[in-house]
Amino acid sequence: MAMNQARVGLLVAAALMLLPLTAAAQPKQPAEKPQPEPGADPQPGKDPDPGADPATDPSVATDPVTPPDGAPATGGLEELCAIDPDACKAIDIDAAAKRDLNPEIYAVQQIYALRRLRFELNPYAGLTLNDQFVSHTAVGLATNFYITNVIGVGLNANVYFNSPSAFNSQTSRAARIGQSITEYQWNANANFLYVPVYGKFAGFSDFIFHYDIFVVGGVGAISTRPIAVVDPDNRTFDWQPKVTFNVGGGIRIFFNRWFGVTAEIRDYIFPDELENPTIAEGVDANGIPLAQDPATWLAEEVSWTNHVQAQLGLSFFLPPSWEYRLPK
Amino acid sequence: MKQPWLDQSGRSKQSWRRAVVATAVGAAALTGLLFAGEQEASAQEIQLTGPLAGAPAVRKLRLHRDGRFEITPNVSFTLLDEYQRTIMPGLRAMYHFTDWFGLGVWGGYGFQLTTGLTEQLQEKAINERNCDGNPSSQECRLTAVNLTRGNMADDQLARLQWVVAPELHFVPFRGKLSLFSVLFVDTDVNFFVGPAIVGLQERVECGKDGDGNRIELQCNQDASFTLESRITVAPTFGVGLNFYPTKIFGFGAEFRGLPYEWNTSGFDNFGGPPDGDFPDTAVNSEDREFKFNSLIQVNFMFRFPNLEVSE
Repeated sequence: MAMNQARVGLLVAAALMLLPLTAAAQPKQPAEKPQPEPGADPQPGKDPDPGADPATDPSVATDPVTPPDGAPATGGLEELCAIDPDACKAIDIDAAAKRDLNPEIYAVQQIYALRRLRFELNPYAGLTLNDQFVSHTAVGLATNFYITNVIGVGLNANVYFNSPSAFNSQTSRAARIGQSITEYQWNANANFLYVPVYGKFAGFSDFIFHYDIFVVGGVGAISTRPIAVVDPDNRTFDWQPKVTFNVGGGIRIFFNRWFGVTAEIRDYIFPDELENPTIAEGVDANGIPLAQDPATWLAEEVSWTNHVQAQLGLSFFLPPSWEYRLPK
Repeated sequence: MKQPWLDQSGRSKQSWRRAVVATAVGAAALTGLLFAGEQEASAQEIQLTGPLAGAPAVRKLRLHRDGRFEITPNVSFTLLDEYQRTIMPGLRAMYHFTDWFGLGVWGGYGFQLTTGLTEQLQEKAINERNCDGNPSSQECRLTAVNLTRGNMADDQLARLQWVVAPELHFVPFRGKLSLFSVLFVDTDVNFFVGPAIVGLQERVECGKDGDGNRIELQCNQDASFTLESRITVAPTFGVGLNFYPTKIFGFGAEFRGLPYEWNTSGFDNFGGPPDGDFPDTAVNSEDREFKFNSLIQVNFMFRFPNLEVSE
């Protein structure tokens, strides 16, 4: 087995010497060419160029494993000599074998997964990173369209599931103080995307996968309402949409050319209306306690809130395949 | 010249690596392979059947770790802190036995910054109540066990003071990236794990000890609002992304988990009947909670001697 591979290595070295211009970056050839039936008519448009040189034109090269005389090849040097007896005599095979392989390669290879003019569907799940009092677990969907390979526009939306934490009740109980907390219903955003980083990794020196790093920002709306903790007997709040701005970034790892996973951190910034920490005293003109007047339930000042959300999702690109503009 | 694809030992290493890949990547890799099976024939086919069969996936790889020592000044930042953030300057010394495996020691000393919640509690629950001047008010009586009359950060909030951790580092992923299609740098992804010796400061025990024995110091006494040191052992693990703009210098960031039990607030939250989930006017080990403490660490790596290049 090792000897066969050594022969193959020598064959490659010699072939590179013989064909310095054609050995690199050739279009991929089919694994096996169909052999024409003896006596069959040549197919139109598939005749080899009569002027082509078999030594330099791979399209008319003879089958390397079949000697011209039809004798079975035994591999290695015999194969090389069978292909080109004159070259076999002229080449010092031992010296050629010691020559460093330096095949010509393209400085920039084809990008594995192009994004230009493709849609991306990105369903994801999210969780809160910076709210100790209420967990805002989310499910969401982002749809993006890439205008160029690095610039895209898109929409995303989240639906939230809120859960006040034990930390909230512990702090309130220990310090006898109420902390205004908020729950979220949904948000929706129009976004701009930019992909400044593209790379690939070799895993265990055994397989290669590709990834990119993107940044995203946009504007939209978020529906929130306070959770009544200061005066829950009197106060109930309705959902109210607020304008929200978002900025974030993430990494996308491709499993193939149309499917990958994404991990993202997004900061949704919005002016939130918090519960009024004080309870209004007295009654109005009708004798109704002011504490029951919704106008007294919210704090006077809005509070700019950063809702930092970690997202983990799947990425589907459509159409799933494309043709490169250049072959390499 | 040694040709790795002719080396029997190299072949066994490849088989071993494939086994590790199959085990470690698991379901995710399986998913990828399933989908990969649908794509068009690619260069991998040539590797399998052509003259490159058996050749390594990467040749002429700059071995940034293999056989090299590493000194890494770093700074760590705690995440998701309730009462205090910790900024921890540190140092890591390391030796890389291979390009994918190394052994090192990381240590750091922490400095604390209070969060917005602590500042609000200090302002509204301590300063405005002025319990020194109104000790008999209801709010002051109800919080006498839990809130200092001085400074929360100094008197009762726990601190992550120092960490020393021997670590094993594994580097399964190695690659490169293009930034703005202009800057190209070598990168790798490392995973690490090890036992961490953690130095903490927590509020001193008062009322009862962790076994339920009464102790003289009561939790409403000023003397109970002091910190004492203790040491705990915790696992630490994480993942890092590293960049190598030069042969000697690299930089990167790591996410580190450091889970252990501690009482970050100094409050009496647990230990009372019926099942220990309610206050018992004592602060002790029963009031500690398991926290998945996490840090982001920024590394500045210096490695020597000079790197080599693979075949």
